[in-house]
Amino acid sequence: MGAHDRVVIVGGGIAGVATASALRSGGYHGDIVLIDRAEFPYDRPPLSKDYLAGRRDLEQIALQPPEWYAEQRVDLVGPAEVASISPGDDDVAITLTDGRDHRADWAVLATGGRAALPPVPGLGDARQAGLVHVLREAEDADRLREVLVPSAALLVVGGGLIGAEAASTAVSLGAEVVIADPLDPPLAAAVGREMAAWLHALHARAGIETVTSVLEAVQVDDGGVLAQLRGEPQVRRFDAILVGVGMVPSTELASACGLEVDRGVLVDAQQRTSHPRVLAVGDAARLRDHHRTEHWEAAQHDGQRAAASILDAPPPAETAGWWWSDRHQHHVEGVGTMREPDAQTTVVHRGTRGTEPFSAYTIRAGRLLGAVAVDDPHAIRAARRLIDRQIEVDPDRIADPAADLRKLLRG
Amino acid sequence: MAAGIRVAALDDIPEGEGVAVSRDVTGTEDDIALLRDEDGRVWALNDTCTHETASLAEGWVENGHVECPLHSSKFCLKTGAVNGLPATKDTVAHRLEVREGEVYLFPGEHPVE
Repeated sequence: MGAHDRVVIVGGGIAGVATASALRSGGYHGDIVLIDRAEFPYDRPPLSKDYLAGRRDLEQIALQPPEWYAEQRVDLVGPAEVASISPGDDDVAITLTDGRDHRADWAVLATGGRAALPPVPGLGDARQAGLVHVLREAEDADRLREVLVPSAALLVVGGGLIGAEAASTAVSLGAEVVIADPLDPPLAAAVGREMAAWLHALHARAGIETVTSVLEAVQVDDGGVLAQLRGEPQVRRFDAILVGVGMVPSTELASACGLEVDRGVLVDAQQRTSHPRVLAVGDAARLRDHHRTEHWEAAQHDGQRAAASILDAPPPAETAGWWWSDRHQHHVEGVGTMREPDAQTTVVHRGTRGTEPFSAYTIRAGRLLGAVAVDDPHAIRAARRLIDRQIEVDPDRIADPAADLRKLLRG
Repeated sequence: MAAGIRVAALDDIPEGEGVAVSRDVTGTEDDIALLRDEDGRVWALNDTCTHETASLAEGWVENGHVECPLHSSKFCLKTGAVNGLPATKDTVAHRLEVREGEVYLFPGEHPVE
């Protein structure tokens, strides 16, 4: 398998852990070293939900139980920071900031990303003062949780998935929340305009004010922040701001050793970077000529593909992208791609919005492209299989809530 | 409990789906999900996903597994073994028998291979 019989994975998010897990289940017998900045790898979706609310602690959101690492012979190194990687013809050297180094046949970069901060005047100073929050790491959620006391005024910048989830948690803890997003509704590109409008309207019903605007300027003000939203005559005062406007991939290690980087470490369909001994997975990576899919399951699939590359095994089957989100006691899931209706494309709705499980579907030329469902996981599981198997679908049957979607799988 | 507890008629459980039997009936710590596969056979697992709080009876049953309705972790119908994150803990499988179209549950007994 190589001179060292060792793979070093840099980063303990879902992509890194999935790589380790898939290497072992695929029969890799060598050493697996997993280097994480945290004490142990934990799952990130709960950071805006149950973990932020204080209903689950860090141990409860661990990606694997402590004994898993010994059972799977995964050498967990953390908390530790990688200073550099040096890929050569025969191996890769991975050097930690404390000077320790590892030599491996392959390095897998699973370094994730950090929250993007828009270039708003005063935002940096307010962040320095601890008044501007983001949500990527458990420590971020710990800090935000301290702010979310009853009647605390929170401005959420960005009404996408993370912003909506965190706003929903914040209001459930008694905070007074304003969400600002330039799009009305946010998420229309991901879930379709009608579904996006319904989802966004849930905030108002939960007592959150939604504003169609952008943050123009911020000023620290006696333990709080003054925020100027575009188009508003006066600044507003908040106890804190949460910024949820997307992420920036962490590509520094890759750039420093000369790998090709362009809005992510560029990889091919087998997760191989421009150097044959280095692979990249998850939010840090970007498939050449594609947008990054910044979802939990996509990161897991990256890890499985990277393991298959190392093992020279066939990659896992392709499947339509799937994600979930939760807001105001509603469970939202999506699969595939949603499009607005046009000459070739139909958008079909099933069920009545707000009164029962309901879902929306994009159909083109008799084939399902995508689906989004509220409180209807079965619809999404059926839709995923209809997409993956390219089964011809009848829009009228999909729209009929009495029709069993599972039966459509039989053609 | 030599005869088991009659918990459902087989026809009450649609193929590929499940129904939950209350712990008040089973006397177990958790409710028990009766899960029916595409071949019409029925299996019993603890109902609550070992990850969070979803009911596996509301899951998707296919290819020998039930897929959690919230985050899609899969559990083996025969053994309760977990197969796929985010859940990491196996769940508990229970023995059952189908006699004359009725499902009899033996809570706490391992299924017979």
